[in-house]
Amino acid sequence: MTPMPALPSAVEDYLRDTLMRRAHPLLLSFGDDWQLRELHGDPAVYGLDAEHGLRELQDLFIGLPLDGHQDLPFVEFSNGRSAHVHLIADAPGFHVLLLDAEEERERQRAQQQLGHDAVLTGHEQSKAIGRLTEIRNELERQRASLEEANALKNALIATLSHEFRTPLTSIFGYLHLLERRLDGSGNAAQALQAVRRNATYLFTLAENLLEYGRGESGAALLNPVEVDLTLLARDLDAMFRPLAEDKGVAFRVDLLVEETAPPVFDEVRLRQIVVNLLSNAVRYTTKGEIACDLVWRDGRLSIDVADSGIGISAEFRDSVFKPFNRGGQSGSKGAGLGLSIVRRLIEQMRGELRLESELGRGTRFRVELPPLARAAAKSAASHAAPFPRGVQALVVDDDPDIAQLLEVLLIDLGFEVRVAENASQAIAEATRQPPDVLLIDVELPGLSGNAAVFQLRSHGYRGRIVTLSATSTGDARDASLRAGADHYLTKPLNLDQFVGVMQRALQGEASGQNPDADRRG
Amino acid sequence: MRTHKLCMLGDFGVGKTSLVARFVRSTFSAKYLTTVGVKVDSKEVALPGREPLKLVVWDIAGRGALDGVGENYLRGASALLLVADGTREASLASALNLLMQSRRSLPNAVVALAVNKLDLVDRWEVAPATLAELRNTLPVFETSALSGDGVEAAFADLAARLAP
Ligand SMILES: Nc1nc2c(ncn2[C@@H]2O[C@H](COP(=O)(O)OP(=O)(O)O)[C@@H](O)[C@H]2O)c(=O)[nH]1
Ligand SMILES: [Mg+2]
Repeated sequence: MTPMPALPSAVEDYLRDTLMRRAHPLLLSFGDDWQLRELHGDPAVYGLDAEHGLRELQDLFIGLPLDGHQDLPFVEFSNGRSAHVHLIADAPGFHVLLLDAEEERERQRAQQQLGHDAVLTGHEQSKAIGRLTEIRNELERQRASLEEANALKNALIATLSHEFRTPLTSIFGYLHLLERRLDGSGNAAQALQAVRRNATYLFTLAENLLEYGRGESGAALLNPVEVDLTLLARDLDAMFRPLAEDKGVAFRVDLLVEETAPPVFDEVRLRQIVVNLLSNAVRYTTKGEIACDLVWRDGRLSIDVADSGIGISAEFRDSVFKPFNRGGQSGSKGAGLGLSIVRRLIEQMRGELRLESELGRGTRFRVELPPLARAAAKSAASHAAPFPRGVQALVVDDDPDIAQLLEVLLIDLGFEVRVAENASQAIAEATRQPPDVLLIDVELPGLSGNAAVFQLRSHGYRGRIVTLSATSTGDARDASLRAGADHYLTKPLNLDQFVGVMQRALQGEASGQNPDADRRG
Repeated sequence: MRTHKLCMLGDFGVGKTSLVARFVRSTFSAKYLTTVGVKVDSKEVALPGREPLKLVVWDIAGRGALDGVGENYLRGASALLLVADGTREASLASALNLLMQSRRSLPNAVVALAVNKLDLVDRWEVAPATLAELRNTLPVFETSALSGDGVEAAFADLAARLAP
């Protein structure tokens, strides 16, 4: 190798000048104990003042040997300036040389920023696109069901007035009677009773609408109670005899009871079934007889409603059970909701429904209902199966009113209750003494309820978690379940639902499973 | 005063710079500015019943620790705070990867994992069960540089485990 000839001194000078200007070199020479011996350059360029500057440099070399060379590229100093930092050993001391890297750093930063931003937004975008696809599918599903629901809703409105006309007419009729009799024979009590019964009938219709509104899937909890069949038969007679006799149709209700104990049913729904069948019979019968037989025997209740009305032709047998069907019973103005509700209620109660009919001769509906008590024990919340005593619950809500409401409800159900008002408190309390059930508001100030749930789960909390939220979207629900909640309830609280969820939560606990804890989304 | 070097390790954008800003200066910025190279900060940490110590915190650029240059930054560290972003599952794997690589040169460093952006928990990809599992191997903290939750605890835990 030939030795490199020295550069012309003019060029060397020029190079030195340029480099010095660009690199703002700062050289600090130290003894072996960081004793500053010499200084070249301006420490202020790097914000290294006399007081703290040395400390800052010293901190850079913690844990590093000072008797060899060290390179630390792109070190940002406290004034934001970036430098390449070199340590050059020179026994017994060493030098620290700083070369300005600001321009180079900015260039690299600009380049990397683009790349990083692209990756980060790419991640967000792919998630967003996934979400959009889901949302589009969901919208498509909703649109389809909305179209159907909308058609039904229009029909509902059209039918509504018709549905309410009969009972209202009756109410006004009896009121008229009442007015007349009050000054005469004065059997006011009876007339008033009739008004009350018809109000009950209206109520049943309203219940029908409600039931319809719940939809097929949202079957509500059944509420089993002992039913007084004698009273039911008497009410039916009082409610429908006047309506039937008005049209010149004979009417009878017969009751046969062979069991000693009264049957257990959801009384409101049972009445809904019979009232709907009878009002259907009354509507389509203009001569002959309407007969209702109630038989409570062998642990089954059968309801038999027969009329001598217009009948239903074979081709319409199925469609009469559809809501708002038209022409199901020849010449009618539409059967409304009644029979569709009847069928749904009977399904809910795991009963059977049969229809026999002959056009022009009459129609007979036969209903068989199994005892509800056993089937309902599970689903029929509060009254049927009380909670075990002494189950520990921790309630977390920043709204003291809601916290108190939950506390009272739970104490009423036999829980032992503690209350916390924010997420950190909840975590501390649940860690100190893990409750069997944690009820936590999602929208807490500061750390969210979901964050608390996540942290408890990631620390191995295995009790049940119910989150409560004012947001009823599927997304909000999923977020809670992903964080580790077992159940998600929306506010305002539906008490039946609340009790049901608490029951399911505890059953889940008994089986030692947490089906949602491992859910991914 | 005892002084220890602590390195922040993790993918870019997980919140290393933000955690340091929260810890050292109690500030937060939503703007993302890519870190190039390293920024060194320090803070005294009070320890119950012990002498306080000074943590010199090295905020290292995202992938910095993976390449040769980065190893230079790590030298002399006695504590590592691994950082992952809960909204990006992949960043958790990155953090654990970085841990394995740095373990070779720093077998004795004390280590903790911060899973950051707890305030965005509704969008987290990381599942609670995953972290429950990880807790068997190293201390895990859910943190938010934005709200400050868990930040102090993560640094304090490392400080407490540093040799006196
Ligand atoms: N919401 C939220 N954003 C955060 C949090 N920590 C950091 N960020 C944001 O995430 C981005 C990247 O943060 P940065 O600290 O620069 O990440 P680094 O690359 O690991 O240093 C910035 O826009 C920050 O504002 C956090 O706890 N919550
Ligand atoms: Mg950074």
